[in-house]
Amino acid sequence: MPAENDYSLQDLADLTGVTPRTIRFYVAQGLLPSPGRVGPGATYGPGHLARLKLIRQLQREHLPLAEIRARLESLPDAAILALSEAPHGTSASSSASEYIRGVLARTRVAGRPAPHPYAAARLVAPPMPALPATAPAPASPTPSPAETPSPDRSQWDRVVLVPDVELHVRRPLTRQLNKRVERLIAIARELLEEDQS
Amino acid sequence: MTVHPTFQTALTVRTDRTLIRPTFKSNRFVLAEIVAPSSRREQGRPQVNLAFVLDRSGSMSGDKIRLAKQAVEASIGRLHDDDRFAIVVYDEQIDVVVGTTRATAEARRLAVARLREIDARGSTNLGEGWLRGCEQVAAELSAEGVNRCLLLTDGLANQGITDPGELAVHARELRSRGVSTTTFGVGNDFDESLLQAMAAAGGGHFYYIAGAGSIEDLITSEVGETLDVVARDVVVQVTAPGGVSVEALSPHPTREHGGQTEVIVGDLTADEQVSIVLRLNFPYGQLGHSTGVVVGLADQDDLLGATSVKLAWQYASDPLNDGQDRDRDVDRAVARVFAARARQEAVGMNRAGDYKAARRAVEGTAKRIRSYAGRDPELQATASALEADIQQFQAPMAAPALKTAFAGASYLMRSRMPDGKAMKTPEDAGQRS
Repeated sequence: MPAENDYSLQDLADLTGVTPRTIRFYVAQGLLPSPGRVGPGATYGPGHLARLKLIRQLQREHLPLAEIRARLESLPDAAILALSEAPHGTSASSSASEYIRGVLARTRVAGRPAPHPYAAARLVAPPMPALPATAPAPASPTPSPAETPSPDRSQWDRVVLVPDVELHVRRPLTRQLNKRVERLIAIARELLEEDQS
Repeated sequence: MTVHPTFQTALTVRTDRTLIRPTFKSNRFVLAEIVAPSSRREQGRPQVNLAFVLDRSGSMSGDKIRLAKQAVEASIGRLHDDDRFAIVVYDEQIDVVVGTTRATAEARRLAVARLREIDARGSTNLGEGWLRGCEQVAAELSAEGVNRCLLLTDGLANQGITDPGELAVHARELRSRGVSTTTFGVGNDFDESLLQAMAAAGGGHFYYIAGAGSIEDLITSEVGETLDVVARDVVVQVTAPGGVSVEALSPHPTREHGGQTEVIVGDLTADEQVSIVLRLNFPYGQLGHSTGVVVGLADQDDLLGATSVKLAWQYASDPLNDGQDRDRDVDRAVARVFAARARQEAVGMNRAGDYKAARRAVEGTAKRIRSYAGRDPELQATASALEADIQQFQAPMAAPALKTAFAGASYLMRSRMPDGKAMKTPEDAGQRS
């Protein structure tokens, strides 16, 4: 994360496409908090950047300034950050599915850009919880944590076959198995991509 | 009581006082009472598209998980072939046990078998579990149906997204994209303010399930309500002249849209009754002049008909203002909402250990109610009940007491019965405390 107050007025303007004059107007209107120091040496932080991005977004959706101010007032910083970093698809015109995909992608690959479809994304498996001693081993259709060995030596690859179908592979694999998996991916993609209706 | 024709929605709008002051920005209250129709004429009920999201964290083991599964089983048994359901379970791992499917006999059989295999295990990634449930609903969004995600938890969100503000924002964004959210909090350890916020922003309902014994009753009741919806996405629209500000006192989300204030009520079931309290603030004016607002109802499918009511106020002298009649029903509704808000505030303070502030919140509100209560027995009773609660709020409260107070206030402010269910008849209304 960048340091506390990292941006000058010009930095902020360059990063958001909003003129310095307009930024000062927003501060005067109470849409943005005052900068760290007033005057030519004034510095702004990531909170200002996030708010400014969000203001631009909401203006693009034709929301009046009073409404924008009201919304910003009621949102905690974490929410403003989340909303301002929303990829294009999470504006009011996106569908519920698109919105959810955007949120989940951000939370799973926190801090890194969302994986490009058809590229393998490396995800580290979460630590497996210790099952309570009294719990019986469940005969469930999904693999239970008890069946998987220690995660310290390996990590899971998430291979997107088509947008709604993924293959998870825990690496490293043996050479032989790896070859077969590559073949599997090629065949699977061929199968899933035919007749896209 | 008002008897309304079966297919019409009744909308009654009243204000506490009709005179306002010309040299003082008067506040006045408006009570909008809505009674939903009994049916949708030939239309039949909308399809439902539901997702059940169940907490399978270790603390759910035993009766809680067993009864939750049973409740889901009972609920899907009530669906028709063209309804949809999905089942998601979560601890720190999210499992889509049944992906969104039409509720055919075959699908339901399979679901029941898979439900039986679920057991309680790990910690609580409530945010992702809920989002994956919403994802299932969103995948097959029904344009004419009721699309809702039902989230059940007994604990705190301790993995994934944990910030209540952020989860509430997502709930709001999803509601505006067609997916509503209802939340069920079981037992002593969940965060009631988080679950209420998600349900309020999500256009659904929040339920407090004190004991495992009520799990099935409340889940099946909520599902029953989705199967009984007569009007979707109902909003109260208030058109006011410039200078008149409109604020919702009832804790429903609002938005400004095309010069109107819209109060989002949500889906209404057959014969359901909802009361909304608004506060208006008037600008300076001229003696003898009038001003007014128009209050209307709108719903997603335009089934409620063009229902709208005009209300007017007149600028009058101070003595006339001081001596004017008051609509006591409006006063009583206002007092109840303020009392409920004070209780929820006191719960928050009590949890934070600020017992003096908890006491002050409740005391201050009781005092204000007494200032306009006069001899009205109901208003006096509302104030007395608040004063009686000071005792409990000013000392540490145990979890069940906190949640009971919080949920009780939540239900009252949202026109729900004391058990959390929809309010349907005047008799129900009489049961309100």
